[in-house]
Amino acid sequence: SVSASPSSNQIQFDLKTYWKTLIKEINQKLDEAIPVKYPDQIYESMRYSVLDKAAKRAPPIMFIASAELFGVPRRAAFPTACALEMVHAASLIHDDLPCMDDDFTRRGRPTNHAIYGEDMAILAGDALFPLGFQHIVTNTPTDIIPEARILRVISEFARAVGSTGMAAGQFLDLTNADKNLEFVQEKKFGEMAECSAACGGLLAGADDEEVARLRRYGRTVGVLYQMVDDVLKAKEMKGEGKKNKEKMSYVSVHGVEKALEMIEKLRTKAKKELDGFDKYGYEKVAPLYSFVDYAVHRGFVVVDNQDDVSEASL
Amino acid sequence: ENEDNPIEVPFNFKTYMYQKGNSVNEALENSITVKEPIKIHEAMRYSLLAGGKRVRPVLCIAACELVGGDELTAMPSACAVEMIHTMSLIHDDLPCMDNDDLRRGKPTNHKVFGEDVAVLAGDALLAYAFEHIVNETRGVSSTRIVRVVGELAKVIGTEGLVAGQVVDMESGGLTEVGLEKLEFIHIHKTAALLEGSVVIGAILGGASDEEIEKLRKFARCIGLLFQVVDDILDVTKSSQELGKTAGKDLMTDKATYPKLIGIEKSREFAAKLNKDARDQLSEFDSVKAAPLICLADYIANRQN
Repeated sequence: SVSASPSSNQIQFDLKTYWKTLIKEINQKLDEAIPVKYPDQIYESMRYSVLDKAAKRAPPIMFIASAELFGVPRRAAFPTACALEMVHAASLIHDDLPCMDDDFTRRGRPTNHAIYGEDMAILAGDALFPLGFQHIVTNTPTDIIPEARILRVISEFARAVGSTGMAAGQFLDLTNADKNLEFVQEKKFGEMAECSAACGGLLAGADDEEVARLRRYGRTVGVLYQMVDDVLKAKEMKGEGKKNKEKMSYVSVHGVEKALEMIEKLRTKAKKELDGFDKYGYEKVAPLYSFVDYAVHRGFVVVDNQDDVSEASL
Repeated sequence: ENEDNPIEVPFNFKTYMYQKGNSVNEALENSITVKEPIKIHEAMRYSLLAGGKRVRPVLCIAACELVGGDELTAMPSACAVEMIHTMSLIHDDLPCMDNDDLRRGKPTNHKVFGEDVAVLAGDALLAYAFEHIVNETRGVSSTRIVRVVGELAKVIGTEGLVAGQVVDMESGGLTEVGLEKLEFIHIHKTAALLEGSVVIGAILGGASDEEIEKLRKFARCIGLLFQVVDDILDVTKSSQELGKTAGKDLMTDKATYPKLIGIEKSREFAAKLNKDARDQLSEFDSVKAAPLICLADYIANRQN
């Protein structure tokens, strides 16, 4: 199995404090971003999913870490950070619908449509996508971030959730996952992380090569994180003698051993993408390195979450 | 109809609509190509290219041209507002919403592609509308494009289409829906996107803030006008003439203007809205304003 050798590649960076501090701020800003107005139910439905206390806020944290790599101040990054969560929530709400994955629970709570009804769930998603865009263009300080960069971020968001991004992943997952397993996994789980990391560079005005590097880094970490989840779940199921009724995953198709090999490969690949950023200083890249290790080892609990496999180890 | 108030300038509205409609259709046709996953893109194209009057894109272009911009500048945004209109129709037609089988004379998106694909095709159109504006608009400053993005985002969500649909849903079958609530529904469900189309066109064309506000008021009037006329047609026309299920609002006991104030008062209200709209354009060049004036008349007098 994969084990952490404390000497190899260990970055002395307190990811736990970094993450937890940011979660607090992001949660507060999200709370302020969606006040309840008439008609109340739609706002409540949106808030139910966006303000989920069990959300780890991994996309905005990765985004902020990427933006900070280039020196973007937090106040200029928060609007996009919140927007990532809005758009992420929108896509999860729609994925859970009866006509899609038909899920009743998410992160240990009833799904949005289970509480507010299918119609409201569809509309909550439809409202959260544009709210994300609106939040970015209204709240990003243009004295720090020129408008041209804001537009690149908008375009990246749209690409990531669109017909060749997450919507494509969801569609293929529903229809012919077996034919395109790796593609589907990348689209479903890599796309959000790719968008998060890339937006950090785009907002900062990083050059194309740097953005491309962040893109590959994000995608790799997203897939890595999911694959570790799948392995942990498979082990848990085995331990309890349960049959794994989960959807098609790399683990269910190729087995745990192969998945563990793949996890090592992805981990190395993700870190290799970061090598090019060492010139910005070790402490600047440290958060991004430490995400990679966290994805594998889950060394701490980010939030209390019944569904969570945090603190389990491979 | 409405011949007591003809415009003074020679302007052939039919030719105008035909030409603009063709340009818009051509641009829409090229805006989304079929690629992997094929079914999603086919579903997006199925509803986007299903015809329709293209009122919103033409309004966007006309507003842009009124303030000195040109068609090409407005076209990506004109396509985007039609994408947003289309996505809202796809989602509104779903079984868990209005449960419609027929739209623009054709089976609704989910009838052809399934509910899952219909939800995703709507989501994808929503996202693509923004991508299209940002990536394809030429010759406009980033500052203005950012404003366009903000305006479009606002008219879709809880300050626009979604709010209208939510109140509409919760009001369905309720007999005590008053005029105020009915107006809320229409202003959000219909007028918001028409308003957005005009305002976006004006922003792209380089309008001043004052011009933008005049055009915003104009669009708000014709937006409400659009819905009042829709309500009247629902009572007076057959399904075949409309290309959708007629009398549906009556059958579902939905609040409509004819039901609340009667057909005659509804017609009077429509005429007043048209006049209010026209008044907003009085300070613009009358030749350049002709398309928008005629569009308002067209909305007022349309038969389907």
